[in-house]
Amino acid sequence: MMSRDLSEEEGVGKVPLLFLSRLSLTDFRIYDQLELEPSPGLNLVAGPNAQGKTSLIEALALVSTGRLLRGSKDVQAIRHGCETASVEGILGQSLTRLTVELRRGTRKRALLNGMGLPRPSDLLGRLPSVSFSATDLEIVSGEPQDRRQFLDWEIAQLSPAYLRHLTVYKRALEQRNALLRQAQDTPVSASVFEPWESQLSDHGGALRETRTAWIDELSRDAAEAHARLGGGEELCLQYDIRDEGDVRSSRAIDIQRGSTSVGPHRDDLVIRVAGQEARYFASQGQQRTAVIALKLAVLAAAERHFKQSPVLLLDDVFSDLDRSRRSQLMELTLGRGGQVFLTCTEADQVGFELIESSTIFQVESGRVSRR
Amino acid sequence: MQFARPLSELIAQLERLPGIGPKSAQRLAFHVLRMPVDDVRRLAESLTRARESLRLCSTCQNVSEGETCEVCSDPRRDDSVICVVSEPRDIAAMERIHEYKGRYHVLHGLLSPMDGIGPEHLKVRELLERLRNDVAEVIVATNPTVEGDTTALYLARLIKPLGVKVTRLAHGMPVGGELDYADTATLLSALEYRREL
Repeated sequence: MMSRDLSEEEGVGKVPLLFLSRLSLTDFRIYDQLELEPSPGLNLVAGPNAQGKTSLIEALALVSTGRLLRGSKDVQAIRHGCETASVEGILGQSLTRLTVELRRGTRKRALLNGMGLPRPSDLLGRLPSVSFSATDLEIVSGEPQDRRQFLDWEIAQLSPAYLRHLTVYKRALEQRNALLRQAQDTPVSASVFEPWESQLSDHGGALRETRTAWIDELSRDAAEAHARLGGGEELCLQYDIRDEGDVRSSRAIDIQRGSTSVGPHRDDLVIRVAGQEARYFASQGQQRTAVIALKLAVLAAAERHFKQSPVLLLDDVFSDLDRSRRSQLMELTLGRGGQVFLTCTEADQVGFELIESSTIFQVESGRVSRR
Repeated sequence: MQFARPLSELIAQLERLPGIGPKSAQRLAFHVLRMPVDDVRRLAESLTRARESLRLCSTCQNVSEGETCEVCSDPRRDDSVICVVSEPRDIAAMERIHEYKGRYHVLHGLLSPMDGIGPEHLKVRELLERLRNDVAEVIVATNPTVEGDTTALYLARLIKPLGVKVTRLAHGMPVGGELDYADTATLLSALEYRREL
């Protein structure tokens, strides 16, 4: 029963509309069987390194988005010697059951209340989440491809239409590239290229439009969060369209290259700190601050979009931050009233006041006990 | 496990069929051994007859027993509408609804450069040939996949300049389906192609 006053209450004590009330893992990473009953508020996952904390965060990301964290492959998450793995989450209030099954040799499958969904991505939006993990540093330090993946994953959570454009675009791109390679040996008439190119320019145009709008929305929040975390240096986001040209007009060049040279699959998100491109000129500490600011902006955007705080998955975000940044980050993330999962080596890293109001799961060599 | 030669030969032949793995092939082979000889003979004959007597209809390219298929030789059907499908089995699906009274055309595939399939591998030339006669509308009923949509686009660009109307089957909510379980892609196109009541 959600009364009106309850949902309008601010801060701690507010029960979020969407939260995970139960998480079950079967043969996922190092866990053979695991059942957790998290609280709707702050959940601390504590324990020494390499004991299975990140796996829990990853399992949460999987039922929320249908995919693992950045850089992980599905098969790698199946427990050694097992053929399948599954993660199931039950939502509080509605008791909706979200399941993802991983299987060696085939594609993963997502289920809603036990009924198969056409695609794993069809889970998106049922339990919105924003994750912070160590591999996110690549968003700033990595290649353009890493930043495009960041854009695509985050926007897809908010917009199924974007995901649809992306899926069609990627497929049409593969097809056109195959056609380009074919044209290197035998001439292919323009009329055969045109329908693929028309798909690319329609869906590609929609991708660019949405990315540009989303980055515009993100930049103010990101700059603000960055100022609070980093103290003054200016963070600036800009969508960089590498080539404005039409895909049709690059056909001759593309045939020589054997791949498509223009389109949103070549664009980049340029992240500047104090006017310099962070990828090349920022120190690792600066890059880390930029990533956290970026993610905080994603969180704010998701909050506006879903009109409540998404589930926050914070994996090992404290280890490299100094004390003042750590407390700034905690203030920005934990005071929002949504469900939070946070991993740390020692529970008292978060401060004593928070420990009191949180549920603590102690993780040690694949065993989890509630404290 | 060693089988008598005719048996392992049969298993090997069955295994070559699509969707039949070694286990199924073995099960089918043993089933055949238990069948009355007359039934086996009938099965063998219908396999040969089907392969030998069937060909593609010279008009619509559907699988046919004679020079022209049943639909094409039916004088009551409307010559001015042609429904383009990718596979012969799609005609059976359309015919089940008993509503469509026009003609058909089978492409035998969809454009897919990744699989090496271009227009020259599809029955496109045969379709254009048919449009010389009085055809008012071509309904493109290819699957709502990227390849199906792109093939439809290709045909539309080819056919429209000839002054023939080109339409595409609508995609949207499955009738009797539940909104909550519909995949987002279907729901999106259902919204895009909504219509006024």
